Amino acid sequence: MSRGKVNPWLWVAGIVLLATLIALPFGLSFSQREVAVLLVINVLLVSSYRLMTLTGEWSLGHVVIMGVGAYASALFSKRLGVPVPISMLLGAVTAGAVAALLSFPLFRMKGFYFLIGSFAAGEVIRLIWKYFTNPFGGPKGLKLIPGFPDIGPISFFEPLPYYYLCLIVVGMSLFFLYRIERSRIGLTFHAIHWQDKLAESVGVNTFSYRMLAFVLASTFAGLCGALYVHYIGTINPNRFDVEEMVFVLIWAIVGGTATFYGPILGVVVLTVINEVILRALGFDTARPMIYGFILIASVLFLPNGLESLVPKLQAWRTSRRTAPEGTPASEEKA
Amino acid sequence: MSQAILEVRDLTRTFGGLTAVNRLNFSVSPGSVHGLIGPNGAGKTTTFNVISGFYAPTTGQVIYQGKNVSGMTTVSLARIGLIRTFQGTTLFKEFTVLDNVKIGFHGSVRSTLIAQVLGADREELAAIEKQADELIEFFGLADLRNELAANLSHGHQRALGIAVALAAQPKVLLLDEPFTGMNPEETSRMMTLVRSVRDRGVTIMLVEHDMHAIMGLCDKITVMNFGSLLTEGTPQQVRTNPKVIEAYLGSAIDAA
Amino acid sequence: MSDLILQTIVNAVYAASYMSLIAVGLVLIFGVMGVINFAHGELYMAGAYVVVALYAESGMPFLVAVVLGLVFVGLLGLLMEISLFRPLRDNPLGGLIASIGFLLILQTTAVLGFGVRMAHIPPPTQEKIELLNGVVLTHQRLLVIIASVALLSLLYLFLHRTKYGWAMRACAQDREAAALQGISLSQVSRLAMFIGAGLAGVAGALTAPLVSPTPYMGHSVIVTAFIIIIVGGIGQLEGAIVAAILYAFVHTFVTTFFDGVIADITGLLLMLMVLVIKPTGLFGAKDRV
Ligand SMILES: Nc1ncnc2c1ncn2[C@@H]1O[C@H](COP(=O)(O)OP(=O)(O)O)[C@@H](O)[C@H]1O
Ligand SMILES: [Mg+2]
Repeated sequence: MSRGKVNPWLWVAGIVLLATLIALPFGLSFSQREVAVLLVINVLLVSSYRLMTLTGEWSLGHVVIMGVGAYASALFSKRLGVPVPISMLLGAVTAGAVAALLSFPLFRMKGFYFLIGSFAAGEVIRLIWKYFTNPFGGPKGLKLIPGFPDIGPISFFEPLPYYYLCLIVVGMSLFFLYRIERSRIGLTFHAIHWQDKLAESVGVNTFSYRMLAFVLASTFAGLCGALYVHYIGTINPNRFDVEEMVFVLIWAIVGGTATFYGPILGVVVLTVINEVILRALGFDTARPMIYGFILIASVLFLPNGLESLVPKLQAWRTSRRTAPEGTPASEEKA
Repeated sequence: MSQAILEVRDLTRTFGGLTAVNRLNFSVSPGSVHGLIGPNGAGKTTTFNVISGFYAPTTGQVIYQGKNVSGMTTVSLARIGLIRTFQGTTLFKEFTVLDNVKIGFHGSVRSTLIAQVLGADREELAAIEKQADELIEFFGLADLRNELAANLSHGHQRALGIAVALAAQPKVLLLDEPFTGMNPEETSRMMTLVRSVRDRGVTIMLVEHDMHAIMGLCDKITVMNFGSLLTEGTPQQVRTNPKVIEAYLGSAIDAA
Repeated sequence: MSDLILQTIVNAVYAASYMSLIAVGLVLIFGVMGVINFAHGELYMAGAYVVVALYAESGMPFLVAVVLGLVFVGLLGLLMEISLFRPLRDNPLGGLIASIGFLLILQTTAVLGFGVRMAHIPPPTQEKIELLNGVVLTHQRLLVIIASVALLSLLYLFLHRTKYGWAMRACAQDREAAALQGISLSQVSRLAMFIGAGLAGVAGALTAPLVSPTPYMGHSVIVTAFIIIIVGGIGQLEGAIVAAILYAFVHTFVTTFFDGVIADITGLLLMLMVLVIKPTGLFGAKDRV
């Protein structure tokens, strides 16, 4: 697909972005660095969520699946003594495996029914964590979960090294997610979203592909959970409740889901608003309300998300330029 | 006569109390163009839906290449070369012409999923793209290759629909009313296309109301009425059959 | 043992009555407007806080506070319809998302106004009826049962005997056809939102003294309501009532004889089973393609 020459400006932008990401924590306070760690994890969480939505199904269980990765990785390392880097991978795999199992009941449903079904499945998982004190720790959850092991002098207990660790893991994962979407597999996901009957008539096994999207998205969500749990050190079932899911939805919807960068834009912009502006104003308890207003305003006034502003911005820029040299408006098909 | 490539035996499909297809029998010879005609509501689309696995037969059998395939899924039937198109223009409207045809080649992909993600399937992709371009050329869509399917004219959308089906390497192609809504020029182009698809060795089964196209294309015609077989024969035999004329006169009033 | 069973039956009847109010409201909104109102649990919570504010804190008579709870929450529903669902009429997913936004606003308002801790409400009456030896039904619960039955009967009469009720049922059947017959969709939608929200509000107001309201009480309510409307067949008013009774009995019995968490899991699995086997609900119509 990517046949034409890559725009050199894209390279420049990429290098600037990378430098910014590397330099970023040095301009931040300790607590802001902690937020930056969570933000990087959330970028992967919402991007993996978008992969799921490519086939047209919206899940309300994604955060619980993230929790499956977190619980699994915590238990593998704490109870079985598996080294944390390996337990993280096992956590991701467990989340993917749980998604594979859930596919059988859930993909008998579509649309609204899938939404509710995924919600119910997630609630069942959360109740299981609450009910079985052994091994899940019940409503109080798990504590004293081992952290990422030191590498030489680098201690991952500190936010700064952990930020870079997350940056590398998330960066690689995003590359993988991007490749999936740009490959034939991504094309097939889109095809199933728009016309599943036609896709079937030419031999696309829509169930397998829906399952594939769900399992892949869940594996990355599980990885997010694992990255999260070995940094924070404790988890409980309420950390993964529907309110948290609502945040993922808000990020995706405010950003827009038609492009790869839309949800990332959403999570970054909202986190910055939340941490910089709202925290400075000191409205701690009122924050969910402001989120509510943002959510409503974005569905009412920006139904295609922040991403829909990008082509407009580009058009505005090219129109200001003196000699517009046939720059393509946007590479994405919106 | 050579052995039939596709056959339905005593095929019945009911919806609640309604019998849409009633003990239907016919057989299609390999390499032929076989017409299936009848007034609106006769059960033609339902027959296609059962043959292509969208619905299971209530009773009776579908035999394909000598094997009972009744109740097999659409996907597995597509894999063994039984492909259908849809009445109306069902396309991936948000995709380009090229991407539509590329999805059609789904069954030909041999690369593993991992190879696809890592981009190690470049050669295969290029080969598929080349074949897709040939098909696009064949259907006269070369200029529109990168156009969104939604922006094509009706006739071009129809042609693209068949191109997508053909990309799936059919042995038997079921075409549901491909000529509907076409002007005479588009119709005659489409007739040429259908013939050249047949000349590629694809057996074609055709549901159509356009009598000119049916008579000009078909080697054999099966006529349905109220879900049952009315008669069967060559275009010449069917055209002069009084039962057919009566059935069509009955519906021609609201069809015309 | 048989006393315990009888007592559990009494408890289940009470649970079924207010759950029916909530679920019927949700179904009415879905049926007429085609949106899933995620804020329905918070409308219930708002009704409970009307009683906290007017009865517990201002000393108004309990029943007056309940009636005002119905009206106030009905008006909240009207506000949602005018500001959210009308502009998003062609976008059901948008309507759902906007209702999540509204949920957050209501919840935060309750936190800011009343704090996060459980509100204590002095019981309006302490009296109870002893049905058999040991089996009791408090007057407060009896009131909830009677009020629920009365309100649902009124709703039934309204839907089947009045012009507006008929228009509402027509919209629930087929919006386009109803519009073609000259029914004003916006009028019917406003009415459905007022009634649907009002029912949730009155359920919250009636049960407030029995449950100790918190700003987050809506969560378990919406989960229960979803289970009920899925089991009953989405958009089916009668189905919702039957499913509410079924769910209330299953949940109350499992809670009494096993455990509350097991009861929640049972309810969710019941819903998943219905979704897998017959997605249109046990009492739903045939699958419309
Ligand atoms: N999914 C379905 N459910 C109920 N009835 C159907 C369904 N599909 C087709 N029918 C009915 O079966 C009969 C035959 O329809 P169809 O096969 O579409 O006819 P044709 O294609 O010959 O015009 C019609 O009466 C139609 O209403
Ligand atoms: Mg037809």
